[in-house]
Amino acid sequence: MSSIGTYFYNIFHSLYTVVVGMRITIKHLFTRSATVQYPTVKMKIPERARNRLFVNIDDCIGCDQCAMACPVDCITIETIKSTPDMDLGMTSKNTKKRLYLPRFDIDIAKCCYCGLCVWPCPTECIVMTDVYEFAEYDRKDLIYSFSNMTEEEIAAAKVRLEQYNQEQAAKKAAAVPAKEPAPPAANPLPPSVPDIGKA
Amino acid sequence: MDLYTIILYFFAVVTLGSACIVVFSRNIVRAAFALLFAFFGVAGIYIFLLADFIAITQLLIYVGGIMVLMLFSVMLTSHQINVDAKTGTIQTLPAILIAACVGGGVIWVFWITDWKEKSDLPVIDTTAAKIGELLLTNYLLPFEIASVVLLVALVGAAMIARREKKG
Amino acid sequence: MEFIQTLLANQLVVSILLSALPLVFIILMVLVVLYTEMKVAAHIQDRVAYMRTGWHGVLQPIADMLKLLQKEDIIPTKADKLLFRAAPFIAFTGTYVAYAVLPFSSIYIGSNINLGAFFLVAAGSLVVIGILMAGWASNNKWSLFGGVRSAAQMISYEIPTALAVIIAVMITGSLNLQEVTKFQDGGIGNWLVFGGPLPWMQKLMLMPFTVITFFILFVASIAEVNRTPFDLPEAESELVQGFNTEYSGMRFAMFYLSEYANLFTVSAVVVSLFLGGWSSPFGAFMSGPVWGVFWFTSKAFLFILIQIWIRWTLPRLRVDQLMYVSWKVLTPWLFVCIFAVGLILVI
Repeated sequence: MSSIGTYFYNIFHSLYTVVVGMRITIKHLFTRSATVQYPTVKMKIPERARNRLFVNIDDCIGCDQCAMACPVDCITIETIKSTPDMDLGMTSKNTKKRLYLPRFDIDIAKCCYCGLCVWPCPTECIVMTDVYEFAEYDRKDLIYSFSNMTEEEIAAAKVRLEQYNQEQAAKKAAAVPAKEPAPPAANPLPPSVPDIGKA
Repeated sequence: MDLYTIILYFFAVVTLGSACIVVFSRNIVRAAFALLFAFFGVAGIYIFLLADFIAITQLLIYVGGIMVLMLFSVMLTSHQINVDAKTGTIQTLPAILIAACVGGGVIWVFWITDWKEKSDLPVIDTTAAKIGELLLTNYLLPFEIASVVLLVALVGAAMIARREKKG
Repeated sequence: MEFIQTLLANQLVVSILLSALPLVFIILMVLVVLYTEMKVAAHIQDRVAYMRTGWHGVLQPIADMLKLLQKEDIIPTKADKLLFRAAPFIAFTGTYVAYAVLPFSSIYIGSNINLGAFFLVAAGSLVVIGILMAGWASNNKWSLFGGVRSAAQMISYEIPTALAVIIAVMITGSLNLQEVTKFQDGGIGNWLVFGGPLPWMQKLMLMPFTVITFFILFVASIAEVNRTPFDLPEAESELVQGFNTEYSGMRFAMFYLSEYANLFTVSAVVVSLFLGGWSSPFGAFMSGPVWGVFWFTSKAFLFILIQIWIRWTLPRLRVDQLMYVSWKVLTPWLFVCIFAVGLILVI
């Protein structure tokens, strides 16, 4: 095309494209808006959306697998072994609980909502809920404590374990000549974890 | 003394004051901006001389055009902005002589002119039409010469700009 | 003492009150335009904009204004303080003087001078000075670039504007905006876009050229108020906010006010030159001084709406494209139009 032809072509082409663009925008002026008035109107979130973590502490067996799976280390779990004479009850999936949980903290501010902690849980006690509005004024308030033990209970459990360990040590010392050492229940944790893991 | 007189003096003060700033300011951009107000004041005085067309032309050409281009060039030349304009005195004696001559001439002209102080002069409402008529009849030649000069200046500017680009 | 009293009573107060009338109008108009702009912008982008302050957020512009008033007035340490302080006021003055010659109605016009159209073109150039001053005084490279760009742009686009005004003046034979409007009175057919109230042969011949002129004047006026697609002076993606980067609080509000007041001015110029100003589109029906105000403002608002619509449609031009449009497209086409209109008017 000659340069003068290009000149006129450019003018009419730009006018035409402006009209095309303006037609599109005016169409959108009269379409329904895609946004909602958030705090009053909430969008339906997907059924399996991953939001705030929740731990059903009654079902937790303290296996620590969620804390290990967490890529950002936002889960902190402390456990105290229970003595054989104590019955901590069963989880809802019929697994025997053998550990006290004095501390089960999730720092939700660190959480990246990957959901990796949910899958390894043998008792399905850690889940992601659909709650997404949990802003706080203080960052400390975002550390969620799920443990339901009181200070006294923790102290008592510790003392009991201490006593039990001493008793066992004494028994062991006494039973050195004897063939059979402690009963199987005396050694609760190591064999039980792989069992639960399989279940 | 009525409102119009006050406004006239106001314009005079604006013009003189900002002209003084133009002369005495050490900051070149401030001087340029002060010149703007001087032009503005002059435009106001033109209105009092019943020259409304000239007043608006002053506003359009000097304030809107020439002033902006001056500021533009000052700002685009990067090393000019922070340079203090020289305001020291050199060659005092010739300067005094020339200033005295010019000042004396102005005062002399002021003195000998037969000022018309009548307020009952006919107010010409359509100066623009009259000016247009005169420009295209009696003063056609100067008008055309001015336009030729401008055209030459334009062509020259284009020439210079183009040569610099190639070289 | 007596002298001052009579002065105050007679002239000064009346003059001040009369000249403050457009200021009231500007403030109300800016509130409405701000609201419209935000709403239209939002709906074009499938959003709803503010909904909480009052019914559909109608009180939001007022809230914004109050917020701006309360903000701290920050002046950068290395800024040229005097010019920095003065710039917003000069920009607003430039905007405001234009309101002196806008014919709002057949009975209200600030100053019925014979050179109204010419004065409007001149007043537009005052705004440039304010913007340039702000850009320089901020002592910030973005501000300076914004100011310099703005100056280059407004100077370039003043030429098409002036030429388009000349075409309107050629047809009406008057620079007085009131006269120009009266010339077009009496129905939509008498508007200058459609050739004005001339014999129909002439009118038909004039029409293509007046339509082109009207269109060019509209484009040039968008460029003069620095709005998208010509908003290079405040191109936020490259210059932060251009000349008003360093401004905050009341001074920023002044620039904002000036920008929106200017938006109305250029629309009003287009309306009063080419769309019959305050005259009713239905001839004698719904005409009169009060209806005049209504028609004038509603026509101008229609143009503001179109400008908002364009703003949220088109992307920003490049600097060279901006100059190309002004010097190689708008100006030559207007020369052709001037020539043609002159020829048609003579024969």
